[in-house]
Amino acid sequence: MPDLDFRAAVTRARPAAQPAAEPAEAVATREVNFYYGSRQVLFDITLTAPEREILALIGPSGCGKSTFLRTLNRMNDTIPNTRLTGVVRVEGEDIYAPGADPIALRRRVGLIFQRSNPFPFSIRDNVAYGLKVNGLAKRKADRDAAVERSLQLAGLWDEVKDRLDTPAHALSGGQQQRLCIARALAIEPRILLMDEPASALDPIATSRIEELALELKTRYTIIIVTHNLQQAARISDRTAFFLSGRLVETAPTQQLFTNPGRKETEDYLTGRFG
Amino acid sequence: MAAASASTFVPPRQRRRLRRRLTDGLGWTVSTVAFLLLGAATISIFWAIAARGAHALHLAIFTQVTQGTAGGLLNAIEGTLLLAVGGLLLAIPPGMAAGIFLAEFGASRFAPVLRFMSDVLVGLPSIVVGYFVYIVAVVDLGWGFSALAGAIALAIISLPYITRTSEMAFRQVPADMRDAARALGATDGHVILRICLPIAASSVLTGVLLALAISVGETAPLLYTAGWSNYTWNGHLTHEPVGYLTYAIWAFITEPFQSAHALAYAAALLVSAFVLVISIASRMLMAASRRHSR
Ligand SMILES: Nc1ncnc2c1ncn2[C@@H]1O[C@H](COP(=O)(O)OP(=O)(O)OP(=O)(O)O)[C@@H](O)[C@H]1O
Ligand SMILES: [Mg+2]
Repeated sequence: MPDLDFRAAVTRARPAAQPAAEPAEAVATREVNFYYGSRQVLFDITLTAPEREILALIGPSGCGKSTFLRTLNRMNDTIPNTRLTGVVRVEGEDIYAPGADPIALRRRVGLIFQRSNPFPFSIRDNVAYGLKVNGLAKRKADRDAAVERSLQLAGLWDEVKDRLDTPAHALSGGQQQRLCIARALAIEPRILLMDEPASALDPIATSRIEELALELKTRYTIIIVTHNLQQAARISDRTAFFLSGRLVETAPTQQLFTNPGRKETEDYLTGRFG
Repeated sequence: MAAASASTFVPPRQRRRLRRRLTDGLGWTVSTVAFLLLGAATISIFWAIAARGAHALHLAIFTQVTQGTAGGLLNAIEGTLLLAVGGLLLAIPPGMAAGIFLAEFGASRFAPVLRFMSDVLVGLPSIVVGYFVYIVAVVDLGWGFSALAGAIALAIISLPYITRTSEMAFRQVPADMRDAARALGATDGHVILRICLPIAASSVLTGVLLALAISVGETAPLLYTAGWSNYTWNGHLTHEPVGYLTYAIWAFITEPFQSAHALAYAAALLVSAFVLVISIASRMLMAASRRHSR
């Protein structure tokens, strides 16, 4: 009998012990270099984003944060004359391997832009767009359910449920950005990239986006670029500091902000440059 | 002149102000004169046409076909609509395809060639287009004067306008709309058909309306291709000439009969009214789409 008790204790202990283990990697890059024409803007970026965490990318303007973010869903492919070397893995898969499909990748890795960019369609059609182009939820009932679920997740449902067929452009700036988040969530991505999603919004709309990011973290891996250091401190689990196209340091957010390992980081955080 | 001779005494800043006032005044004068000239020309043309046309415009114009140099214009009204709409139907698919190609793949090697050909087509006199279609379709293919030959001539004339406006309309689709679609896993085809096309549609339609107005007013290319007929259309695309309003103006104004003049005036009024209505419609469309995109 005591023998059994012991075994039960071990089984019980196992799930609790799991978080202590290394979490799975959602995104991992190795020695990524990126060029616009002949101009190199990213240098040897090796960085890991663990699953279901928020990773914040900070650094002065022009240091390459957006460029790095866009390498993760191959959006840079749409810009002519660009080149990438190194390896980017998304959930273990080399996304730049020959034959890798950027279209399929973008379904798994959603991107929220700095300026909200809803299509000039109705609210419903905005959210349903990704479903349509990807051939998902073909039946109307399924599509309506997906639209509702996505708007719920984005915290917008109660505000728009009575006017789904009105133009998206009639929404406020903050609502439009949450609509864009709903649109990205509709195709059930695994990873959400956000490029300064709140920089054009007022403090109240900003805090809604931040709350939303914290809620979404339980389901998605989030990588967020932000100029707002308080925002990075408030919501992220890890923070990566970029400077002139190089990754200076990456650490748990708490640690990076209170006890940075590198002098450049400390200078940036204390506002000595940037 | 006074300003120039006085310039030695005037401090530079004042001199600049003087020059600005002079150019300001010149600009105002030129634009006022231009406005008055244009306004006077438009109004007097419409006045002349309306004053004579109004007398000639009675119900029989719309209900009867032409009999010699008398009767009505039913055959010509129907023929004008047939030729113009037929020309558009022929021109829209290739014109839009070329415009979309130029806007989306402007970096391609073929793009400059296509753009050059389109520019040449704009500059080509319409009578040369008519002559070309006459040789190829009316004579060589043996279609005779016919609706199809006339519509093809109008299609060739409309083509560059539709290409140009489609290209402009697709170029004006904001880049962030394309990016947003791509980030959701849209292919190039999806971006073009399901994002750019709906956004560009009203601008494309403006170009289509412009082409329609041009087609309705064309005369020269139709003389060689559509011929003329006193009868309403019998449904044959070839081997059957069709009437049209601009022919009635061209042919009847020089006839020595009152009835012929009346037909010409009525036809001129109808063509002008039609073009005016199309212009107003495209204006309203443009204003509406601008309001929509804001
Ligand atoms: N499409 C492009 N073509 C050429 N150079 C570019 C392009 N986009 C960005 N760059 C250059 O790459 C560098 C990194 O730009 P990026 O937008 O990634 O910086 P960022 O860190 O996101 O800046 P910000 O904080 O201002 O958004 C900059 O020097 C920029 O000028
Ligand atoms: Mg940026």
